[in-house]
Amino acid sequence: MVLLQLDPFLNELTSMFEKSKEKGSVWVTLKRSSLKSKVQKRKLSSAGESIEYRCLIRATDAKKSISTSVGAKDHQRFQASYATILKAHMTTLKKRERKDRKKSTEAEKKEGTSTTKKKL
Amino acid sequence: MVYIVSWDEFVDRSVQLFRADPESTRYVMKYRHCDGKLVLKVTDNKECLKFKTDQAQEAKKMEKLNNIFFTLMARGPDVDLSEVAGKEQMETQPVKKGRGRKQ
Repeated sequence: MVLLQLDPFLNELTSMFEKSKEKGSVWVTLKRSSLKSKVQKRKLSSAGESIEYRCLIRATDAKKSISTSVGAKDHQRFQASYATILKAHMTTLKKRERKDRKKSTEAEKKEGTSTTKKKL
Repeated sequence: MVYIVSWDEFVDRSVQLFRADPESTRYVMKYRHCDGKLVLKVTDNKECLKFKTDQAQEAKKMEKLNNIFFTLMARGPDVDLSEVAGKEQMETQPVKKGRGRKQ
């Protein structure tokens, strides 16, 4: 498991999506973690200190796996970049609206009504 | 596997699951470009909620869910989620303030 910084992680994630275009899947897992062992956690909580949690993000394309951890300060920047990558690559998902419009207009034609409503 | 049909129900139950056990709850996303399918899973290792789709509009909703989870996980389960929705409201509010001249 390769632990990377935020930006290299995003770059590797992008290349994973590109490699998996013909076949294969990309898995992304999000989990909250403090990245400390149980012993360390017990020490911290008994000392009265608050444990700093981070969001652990793992990605794999079944051949390679990468990970990174995001803190409260970085999470907004990461989430914006992450959303951009997803939008750019999830192009094979269907757009339902056209089918619904076609079905509804066909149904209306069959019924004989001439009102066409365009939902935007 | 427990596939949930309603998106809103999936979101509500996942957030509930996370808030109940933030230490062991994880959110997994699997995307297959060749099949054009997206599957989401939220589990705390006792209960598992899944959602699958091939619709682009659900991917947009998933982005909002991603934001919710990032906020919950990075800042803590007690974070007020209206902050996430609040950002969207903040973006739309200045548009309404068109008339600013009181003289």
